[in-house]
Amino acid sequence: MNRRLFLGAALAVLAAFAIGAPAEAQQNTLEKIKQRGKLIVGVKNDYKPWGFLDPSGALKGMEIDMAEDVAKRLGVGIELVPVVASNRQEFLQQGKIDLIIATMGDNPKRREVIGMIEPNYYAGGTNVLAPKKAGLKKWADLKGKKVCAIQGAYYNKRVQELYGPDLQAFAGIPEALTALGAGNCVGFVYDNTFIESTLAAGDAKWKDYEMPLVTEDEQPWAVAVPLPELNGPWGEFMKKVSVEWHKNGTLLALEKKWGIKQSPFLAEMNKKYKG
Amino acid sequence: MSRPPSPRPFPVLLPVRPPAAIAARWGDCRTATILALASAPLLLMGEALAAPGEAGIVATLWKWTPVMASGFVLNLWISVLAMAIGTASGAVLGLMQVSLLAPVRGGSWLVTQFFRNAPWLVLLFYCILLMPFEIRLGGVVIPLPAWIKAVVGLALPVMANVAEVVRGAIQSIPTGQWDGAKALGLTRLQTMGLVILPQCLKRMLPPWMNVYAILTMATPLVSIVGVQEAMNLTRAALNAESRPDLLIPMYLYLLVWFFLYCFPIARATLWLERRYGVAG
Repeated sequence: MNRRLFLGAALAVLAAFAIGAPAEAQQNTLEKIKQRGKLIVGVKNDYKPWGFLDPSGALKGMEIDMAEDVAKRLGVGIELVPVVASNRQEFLQQGKIDLIIATMGDNPKRREVIGMIEPNYYAGGTNVLAPKKAGLKKWADLKGKKVCAIQGAYYNKRVQELYGPDLQAFAGIPEALTALGAGNCVGFVYDNTFIESTLAAGDAKWKDYEMPLVTEDEQPWAVAVPLPELNGPWGEFMKKVSVEWHKNGTLLALEKKWGIKQSPFLAEMNKKYKG
Repeated sequence: MSRPPSPRPFPVLLPVRPPAAIAARWGDCRTATILALASAPLLLMGEALAAPGEAGIVATLWKWTPVMASGFVLNLWISVLAMAIGTASGAVLGLMQVSLLAPVRGGSWLVTQFFRNAPWLVLLFYCILLMPFEIRLGGVVIPLPAWIKAVVGLALPVMANVAEVVRGAIQSIPTGQWDGAKALGLTRLQTMGLVILPQCLKRMLPPWMNVYAILTMATPLVSIVGVQEAMNLTRAALNAESRPDLLIPMYLYLLVWFFLYCFPIARATLWLERRYGVAG
C-alpha cells in the first residue's frame, strides 16, 4: 500500500477522533448552581479521613462535611463526584464540577489553571512513617535506602532530589503499607497529617512505628473554583466562606471530629481572624 | 480432532455431534473445586492474621459486598452496552471489508486495523478526555457521564475485533456456495443474506463470545479513568479500612466474581466450538 496514502488516512482517523472539543464552560457558576438547585463538588474517595467511602456506599470525611456546609449556605442540594489528582483540574475547567475540595496542594503552577481560594483551609507537610527499629534520625538517613511512596505525590520529586532515597512508588496507601509491613522498604514517605492520625488512632498494629523526622515543606491546601471566576461572584462567595470557617472555628471542630491531630496552621488562622 | 479427514463437501452442514461434553463438565467441577480450595486457606490465613479486636476478614468482606456489588453491576452493564454497540458497528464494518468497491474495502480495512491494534487503555483515555461532559442539542442538555464515555471507548476495539470475526467467517464459507447461489440467479445481496450469513452465524458465535469474555475482564480498566466501578470501589474500601491485611483477600474476592461470571462463558464457548466443529 502506498505509504503516504496510509499515513494520510491514519491522520484522518486521528483527526476524526479528536473532534469533540469540550463544551464552553459557562461563566457565572453561582447562577448555574442556583438554577439547577445543586452544588457539584469534586472530592476524594480514597483519602481517609478527608474523603472516604462508607460501607453503605456514601462518602464521608472532613472535606465532605465542608462541601455539605457550602451547599447548606447556598440552600441547594449536593452531588459529590469522586476525583483523583490526575482529573480534578480538567473536571473543574470543563465545568463538570463547580468546586474542588480534594486534599489539593496550593502551588504557583496550579494557580495558572484553576482559581485557588484564600485563605487556605489546611496545611500539610512531608514526613516518613517508619518502624522504630529502622532507627531513622534525619532526612539524610534515607540516602540510598528503599522508601515506599505513592505514585504521583507532589513531594516525591523534592525528597528524591534532596535526600536521594530509592523511592518505590505504589498505586495506593494499602499497597504501600503492605510493602512497609513486609519490610520491603525502611519507611513510607507521606503527608505528616496522615501519619500522625494513623499513629494517634492507637492501633496495636502501629505500636512499633514512629514518625521520626522533622516535618518539611509545609504546603497549604486550597479549595478551588474555575480560574475565570476567582474574582467573580462565585470566587468571592467561597473566599467569604473560607474566612468564616477559620473565624468561627468550623475547621478546628471538624479536625477534631475526624480525629486529625490539631495542626498549628488552623489554630494560628483561627487566632488571626478572630482577633 | 481424531476424526479422519472428511470427504464431505459441506462441513458446516454436518449433523450435530453427540454431546461429548461430559468430560468437559467434569472439568468444570474440578476447576471450580480447585478455585474454592485455593481461596479457603488464604481466607483462613487472613482470619488468623487479623489482630485481636479487629473484625474478621470474612465479616469485613461481607460488610463491603453491597458496595462492591453495585460497582460490579456497572462493570457488567458497561460490558453489555459496549458489546452491543461494538457488535452492531463491527458487523457493518466486517461487511464493508468484503465489499466489491475498493475504496469501501480499503477504508474499512484501515479503520479495523487502527482500532484492533491500538491499546484499549489509550482508546479509553481518548474517549474520556476528548468527549465533552455534556452535549447541547438545541436547548436540550444531554449529560455524558464518564461511564458512557467508557462504553464508547471499549466499544471501539470490540467493533474492530467483531469486524474481523465477521470478515473471517464470510471468507471461510466455501466458494462453491457463492457459485451455487449465482447459478440459482440470486443477486449479491440475496446471496449474502440468504446463503452466506446464515452459515456464518454458527461460526461467528464462539469467537464472538470470546471477545465478550475478554471485554468483561477488561472493564476494570475504566477504573483508571475515574468510573466508579467494582475495582475503584474496592480500592476506596481498602483505603477506608486502612488495613494492609485486607489487600489480598479483597482483590481475591473481586477476582472470584469476575471468574464466576466469565468461566461459564468460556466453557460454553468451548462447547459451541466442539458442537459446530468443522472437520479438518
